[in-house]
Amino acid sequence: MLKYIGKRMLLFIPTLIIISVVIFFIIQLPPGDYVTSYVAALSAEGETFTAEDIAQLRLQFGLDDPWFVQYFNWVKNIVTRGDFGYSFEYGRSVWSVIMDRLYLTLAVSFVILVFQYGVSLPIGIYCANHQYSVGDYALSFIGFIGTATPNFLLAIIIMYVVYVNTGEVYLGLFSTEMLQNGMRWEYVPEFLGRCLIPLIVIGTSGTCGIIRTVRAQMLDEQARQYTLTARAKGCSEATITYKYCLRAALNPVVSGMAGSLRTIFSGSTVSAIVMNLAIQGPVLLTALKSQDMYLAGTIVLIQAVLVLVGTLLSDIALAWLDPRIRFAERG
Amino acid sequence: MNNETASKETILEIRDLKVNIKTDEGTLTAVRGVNLTIKKGETLGLVGESGCGKSLTSKAILGINDKKCKAEGEIIFDAENLGRVNLLSLNPRGKEIRSVRGKQISMIFQEPMVAFSPMYTIGNQINEATLLHITRDKKKAREISLDVMKKVGIANAEKRYDQYPHEFSGGMLQRALIAMALVCSPRLLIADEPTTALDVTIQAQILELMKSLQKDFGMSILFITHDLGTVARMCDRVAVMYLGRIVESAPAVEIYKNPQHPYTRGLIGSVHKIGTKAQERLFSSEGTVPLALNLPAGCGFYDRCSRRIDGVCNVYDPQLVDIGQEHQIACFACTGCPYGKGGKEEKANE
Repeated sequence: MLKYIGKRMLLFIPTLIIISVVIFFIIQLPPGDYVTSYVAALSAEGETFTAEDIAQLRLQFGLDDPWFVQYFNWVKNIVTRGDFGYSFEYGRSVWSVIMDRLYLTLAVSFVILVFQYGVSLPIGIYCANHQYSVGDYALSFIGFIGTATPNFLLAIIIMYVVYVNTGEVYLGLFSTEMLQNGMRWEYVPEFLGRCLIPLIVIGTSGTCGIIRTVRAQMLDEQARQYTLTARAKGCSEATITYKYCLRAALNPVVSGMAGSLRTIFSGSTVSAIVMNLAIQGPVLLTALKSQDMYLAGTIVLIQAVLVLVGTLLSDIALAWLDPRIRFAERG
Repeated sequence: MNNETASKETILEIRDLKVNIKTDEGTLTAVRGVNLTIKKGETLGLVGESGCGKSLTSKAILGINDKKCKAEGEIIFDAENLGRVNLLSLNPRGKEIRSVRGKQISMIFQEPMVAFSPMYTIGNQINEATLLHITRDKKKAREISLDVMKKVGIANAEKRYDQYPHEFSGGMLQRALIAMALVCSPRLLIADEPTTALDVTIQAQILELMKSLQKDFGMSILFITHDLGTVARMCDRVAVMYLGRIVESAPAVEIYKNPQHPYTRGLIGSVHKIGTKAQERLFSSEGTVPLALNLPAGCGFYDRCSRRIDGVCNVYDPQLVDIGQEHQIACFACTGCPYGKGGKEEKANE
């Protein structure tokens, strides 16, 4: 098993090199660079630039080098000094920009992930055990609405309803007082309350997919011969559902988790903008818009790493769950 | 031996069992009034072609048919803890029926490769019944399981105990499945085509094994198959099923020597015997089994029967009639019609 994990980790290296080249190349593709958009933005406000000023800026940022030289320097700094480059937009290092929002991003996303699986697994099991019942239809209906409604729309609707009923505007995760006084224990209930809307808005979007997967898988497993064997042995329905069916039904759910690490890091951009959440998603969007290439490149690169790690983790989890996979790897 | 077992007490009695399946096209009556008795220590063969309702009948005994299936009638079982009880009257998810399943009546399925969950070790799955019904002590359960595994001829049982189903061959899995069924020493074993999925040499081994285990455990066996060769080898009595009904029932020897029902004769004619010339065609019944949906009145075999009597067989339902020592048959052509037209006398005039 360890050998297998080691082999997989070694494969990360070439994969990452290829991914990073592609990322950098694509980010460079649009015409112009940060200076162009910077100048355009300031000119719109009435500032004037001479050609000399612009040349000076380009030189300062090293933008005149060919893209592969820039790429090489960027990677060299990451590997040798852990320096991910300089964010033009923020005027400081890329890493500090990411760290600003990292903890909050992780906290919000992790809670959402737990919410998604915590809600959809039981619902999926219920729907399978009560196939074609009123409850099954009702829950599936709600789940589909959750999936079909764009998140930002749901966010606006919920915020509107909350505002009309309570007169409170829940924008962002922190109230003004919290930001002024720093985080204190007495703010925790309000903070949790403020988490609720993003939780529902972002959480429901993935739930239906998981519910459908779990439901379909459970139904498949219930039709298996070994379910009948277990019943003929005298096992209770609970044993059949949890010991036999659920264990086997979890495979695709676990594989599906591979992508969720990336989502934890930088998902739900549009909803985050609507709800004014200080998480990573919107940062990537603005960085791409203003051609803040090192910041954008770093975020996408981290996403790529997370996808790789997520896939590895879900593969390990699968091997742990399913002896057939475990043995195939050994042999 | 037949006479000896015949005098013994009845362990299971099925009275007028019907199984209805709800489909989109309507209700399909797949089992249409089956009557069977199984005595202590006896092996009853239930024979018929695919789709005749043998498996549904056997699963109805344990109450493990699909939710879409509804069983009516009575299945009286002589249970250790409940006395004589109608299994159909028990809640199919309740404690009482579960105390019967696996402990007093257990079942072997036809495809051993899919009868085990791939997620757990063989030992874990054999143990489960013991832990449910006999002891909560895991060590003791393990000992019991190992003991049974050895009895069914699984070599190296200690090592095999901790292996997963995909590490077993088909024949070994069938042995493990038998071990799982026998681990609680049931009074009745239902074997639903236990050797169909195995190759011929393994089949013979498994059958011999079941016979010797039956002697050791003193249990009754309901042996379900479409293979008449197996029946001859295994069974004391045979019931032939066609389209959800028993059409003929007799001691095994009698069925071979003296088959009466046209369908039974067809079945026996379709078995390849040593000495048949290669060019000779095996007998095959014409037509196919009709779908048991909106069945017309009359005998189910009418369309395919070579001896059918128009105006009788397609009008009246034949019932099982005694025609000899323990030999019953449902066929107007053989026994005559009790309803007037088409009786024996009239037939003689034709």
